[in-house]
Amino acid sequence: MPDNNTHDTTDEPTATDGGVAGQAGQSHRDTNYLSAEVNLLNPSTPFMRDHLRVIWTGFVIWAILVFGPILLTVVAPDVMTSTMPVIEFPLHYFLVAIGAPGGALILSAWYARKRDQLDAKYGIDHSASTGSAGGEEAAAADGGVAE
Amino acid sequence: MTGGGLVLQSELLPQGLDVSFKVAPAALVLGMLGVFLLVGFVFRVADTEDMWVAGRSIGNLENGMAIGANWMSAASYLGMAAQIALLGFYGLAFVVGWTTGYFILLIFMAAQMRRFGKYTAPDFVGDRFNSDTARGIAAVTTFLIAFVYAIGQARGMALVGLYIFGDLGFAGFSGYQAMVIFMMAITVGYLTLSGMLGATKNMAVQYVILIVAFLAGMYVVGFSQGYSTLLPQIEYGMLLSELGSEFTEPFASSGPYLWIATCFSLVVGTCGLPHVLVRFYTVENERTARWSTVTGLFFICLLYLAAPAYTAFGTRLYDTNIGATYGDPGMAGSTADVLVVLAAQLAALPQWFVGLVAAGGIAAAIATTAGLFITGSSAISHDIYTNLINPDATQRQQILVGRLGIILLGVLTTLAALDPAAPIAALVSYAFSLAGSVLFPMFFLGLWWENTNREGALAGMTTGLTVWMIPMINEVLPTYITSSGEPFIPQLAQMVPAIGSALVAVPIVFAVTIVVSMVTDEPPLETKRVVRQCHSPEPMGQQQAAEDAVTDGGETPADD
Repeated sequence: MPDNNTHDTTDEPTATDGGVAGQAGQSHRDTNYLSAEVNLLNPSTPFMRDHLRVIWTGFVIWAILVFGPILLTVVAPDVMTSTMPVIEFPLHYFLVAIGAPGGALILSAWYARKRDQLDAKYGIDHSASTGSAGGEEAAAADGGVAE
Repeated sequence: MTGGGLVLQSELLPQGLDVSFKVAPAALVLGMLGVFLLVGFVFRVADTEDMWVAGRSIGNLENGMAIGANWMSAASYLGMAAQIALLGFYGLAFVVGWTTGYFILLIFMAAQMRRFGKYTAPDFVGDRFNSDTARGIAAVTTFLIAFVYAIGQARGMALVGLYIFGDLGFAGFSGYQAMVIFMMAITVGYLTLSGMLGATKNMAVQYVILIVAFLAGMYVVGFSQGYSTLLPQIEYGMLLSELGSEFTEPFASSGPYLWIATCFSLVVGTCGLPHVLVRFYTVENERTARWSTVTGLFFICLLYLAAPAYTAFGTRLYDTNIGATYGDPGMAGSTADVLVVLAAQLAALPQWFVGLVAAGGIAAAIATTAGLFITGSSAISHDIYTNLINPDATQRQQILVGRLGIILLGVLTTLAALDPAAPIAALVSYAFSLAGSVLFPMFFLGLWWENTNREGALAGMTTGLTVWMIPMINEVLPTYITSSGEPFIPQLAQMVPAIGSALVAVPIVFAVTIVVSMVTDEPPLETKRVVRQCHSPEPMGQQQAAEDAVTDGGETPADD
């Protein structure tokens, strides 16, 4: 339930980024998200700015993880194909076959956590809007039993 | 076709595979499909009521498994091992592309899609860009994706089918071709039964069966041969030096450009595939959408970290039992496509166990194909027929058109799979290139730049389709119509490879969409507000879509 939508003109986002929880929560309540432009390259609300900072950080790490090893192998083939100690993988093979998928998994969990923290910072609670956490557990348990 | 049958018979017969009818494996295939159907049936009521009436209440663990099951087609189960075995390091582009793409989906699209509330590609495109033509193009694209994707599945199930059901060779068809027809008939039969039944419960069970079959195969092969013990996913490193150098050598089979193009295409394709997006429809809220992407990726990684290990075992067994994998004659493409099954057979494991691994591969292919056919046929009946051709269509007419769509897809897929142009994974990659070139830019720009408008979308999608078509005509068409099968223009095939054409297409489509959107009128405020609602951190009700939240005057007063 949007709690404050009384602004009748396009509100300028207040520049209170990076404040304590109270400030962020206040700026969240002051923002009418339906009148703030959505543009990937030009975030218009404090929340969007914070969110995009997380997104771009993740994206850069992801790009290095995925395309870094292959580019390095082109540049320095000898170093990259050297055999790793103990597990005996050639380095490039390990970074690609295990590093990239595993890294993406860790990165995904990192992002989902960061996004939860952002919600906390802006005082947003998802459980209130759905309130069916118990039902979900029950459904999963049913599936296990019947099969 | 019968003329080509003789040649094919030798070509598409996996070396060393025991081709004969086997009772236990056949029973396992039918048993797995039976379990899928049974679970769907048991939860039929729960699905229609819980999912649509009581709310989108699927939790993140269950949805994660559904994401994993959706993902596990013949391409992951069989095709990836083939690429890794035959093409070595290049094959890893598939492992990377098909896993890391989920991160891009997660950070840019999963939650926003959940908020938008439209989960078929044509619905999203049609509503976001207010255009029935755009919806039509998206529907045609969806149909094409289903078709191209299914060719790979048909090849996979037919090759493995040879192990389970033997050489059925009838009416002048080779054993492989007869098996394509036989397996497609089973698929359509399964589809007819499953079409009426539940979705997500079924998917979770399906995931468990498939991953158990695959991991059991890997663990037992590795253990029985003394290659590995508890952690084969890492232990296969010690085996690598005993395999041909082509297995690990970077760029032995293809250059860095093709590697990057393939990987990029698979990543953007992941974000554009209609049957991936639909999984966010059933979750209770956007937070669950995010976390189920994480658990989904975890379940996918279970298979994807195991596949290279399994392949290494299979390659080693092939080397010692049949002949050198690389060089002349080397391992054939059709053999590589069943390597997962062949490895279990060569390890002299009991027949029922090999059958379990094979049955998993076939069940994965059939379930995926059934899902694809439903998506493709609903694009025809719902988006093209009802929305564009006959707006007054009755329920009966829609169902009839939908069924005709399924038959059309079945026939087209069977014909194209009788003499497939490429290995499973490559065929499926063509579908990824298409999804990445046409749908991904529309989803991405549609969600992240509110000024993307109808004209931009139409121009962008047309461009994407064109860029995708060029290498398909240049590279893939010749394998069907010329005897040599060489590309018409070899240089073009190098610059814009069909398997990775999205690397070229995506920047062009982005540029076209953005420029056309800028020089034409901005989209209506209503549409912009829907996009803004997708990004608002404000929680939304379980039944709410962005559209409702925006138009619901009581809750969010319009400010213009």
